[in-house]
Amino acid sequence: MGIERVESSDAELVRRVRAGDIGAYGALVSRYRDRLGRYARHMLGDREDAEEALQDSFVRAHRSLARCDDPARFGAWLYGILVNRCRTAGARAARRRRMFVRDASALQGASRADQSQRLEWTDAVDRALARLAPEYREAFLLKHVEDLEYEEIAGLTGAGVSALKMRVKRAREQLQRYLREAEHV
Amino acid sequence: MFDQEDDVVQRVIQQLRRPVGIDPALDARVMQAIATPRPPARGLWPWLAAAAVLVSLIIWRPWSRSSEAEAATFQFVLVAPQANSVSLVGDFNDWDPKRSPMRTANGIWATVVQLAPGRYRYAFLVNGAEWRADPSAPTIPAPDDEFGKPSSVVTVGGTGS
Amino acid sequence: MMLALLLVAAQVGTDPRLDRLDPDTRAQVTTVLDSARHVGLPTEPLIQRALEGATKAAPGPRIVAAVRRLSADLGVARTALGTEASAPELEAGVAALRAGAPSQVLASLRSVRRHPLTMALSLLADLVASGVPADSAAAAVLALAPKARDADLVEFRRAVERDIALGAPPGAATSVRVNAGADIQSAGSTPGAQPRPRRP
Repeated sequence: MGIERVESSDAELVRRVRAGDIGAYGALVSRYRDRLGRYARHMLGDREDAEEALQDSFVRAHRSLARCDDPARFGAWLYGILVNRCRTAGARAARRRRMFVRDASALQGASRADQSQRLEWTDAVDRALARLAPEYREAFLLKHVEDLEYEEIAGLTGAGVSALKMRVKRAREQLQRYLREAEHV
Repeated sequence: MFDQEDDVVQRVIQQLRRPVGIDPALDARVMQAIATPRPPARGLWPWLAAAAVLVSLIIWRPWSRSSEAEAATFQFVLVAPQANSVSLVGDFNDWDPKRSPMRTANGIWATVVQLAPGRYRYAFLVNGAEWRADPSAPTIPAPDDEFGKPSSVVTVGGTGS
Repeated sequence: MMLALLLVAAQVGTDPRLDRLDPDTRAQVTTVLDSARHVGLPTEPLIQRALEGATKAAPGPRIVAAVRRLSADLGVARTALGTEASAPELEAGVAALRAGAPSQVLASLRSVRRHPLTMALSLLADLVASGVPADSAAAAVLALAPKARDADLVEFRRAVERDIALGAPPGAATSVRVNAGADIQSAGSTPGAQPRPRRP
């Protein structure tokens, strides 16, 4: 297992998958799972739901790979599938009214005092995020956490750029307000 | 000048950008799923299950007309109190916003359409610019939506078996 | 090349609805329509897909790609469903294939259920769109297909949707629904099936 000196591009990997090299799809999964997993976790608020949505999206993307028109932009195309999948999952979860579960990993490597402070902040952020309307949360995460351009976000959500900017603005206002409230409890 | 709002939001963004622990076994599960198509679930008694389902089905008032058994008149409804105009567009009216404008009372928009048997993609066009799927119908998942705008499906059947 | 396309269009006659497309897109879409017509595939679904793209202000190349894909998929659906399949059946077949149903499932449906298969195929596609794994959806539909009327398939889908909305994992919601009847038949009691617990 040597170190590859030249990393294959998405387009190259897609080409190889289409030619029958299923291992190349594994490379694409590795490449995107952390980023997409992060989006799904914050969008859905639950790690199990996020992993299910993520896994489902990767499987769906592989099945539909012939329909990826621009293999060089495989990542954006994959985001579109995940964003869409999270919408379906999110609607279901909203009806169940989930409580957030703290990730065990957040507890690692911190002193007790640090731990409780950091956990409180982590929880407060999670709770504030959960209070946002789904389309605000979606826009905010894609723009500020996943660093997509507004045009890209428009392409994969179907919303217009000015509507998206408004949603992000509202999300920022609301997050600020909710976190202020949390401080005063 | 110290901008408090930006500071809070920046801290939130910083927090959210931190890596989230995704199960390392996920990759293997994905590869397993795509490499080996699974056989259909076994253990069903097809004739017994089917006959029994007919017995156990509860006939209840349809709250959504997301599918129907016979060609008929269908009502499509969207709740959009802020909208100035809503059009129904789909495979049954050439996706022409002028064909099925919807009428409103108290923010509830509705229209009625005759549908012959078939499967129809459709959506609501709000204020001539904003696309909405039907909340009470199956949504077409990406990438099958083809154009990136939310859309729904309604299926009208015949008399079947 | 443009001249050849224009000649072909003039011969066959383009559908006036396609005037909403820009000339280049219209020409390419018309080529796809002509090929489809030539092999006996229905063109109306292709026209509707182009019109959908036009209304949604999609770029020309994206419209052409979508129409081409649909034409190819209609061909695959027809291979599985037979040449007697109607346009609505083929469209529903495409939806089922895209949802992940192997073409074998479509062929099996054809052998256990009289035409039209539109509702059964749609049910399959819609279940998967709701999050039911493709193999569970296929098993449920094949179990119901021989005996259930279209109206019963409609009720089944609504019931599964409701269970999922109430929190059941989609795969469990489907199989519990299909199996619930078996309990009634043997125990003679009213249905009270519990959804399976979430995975640990």
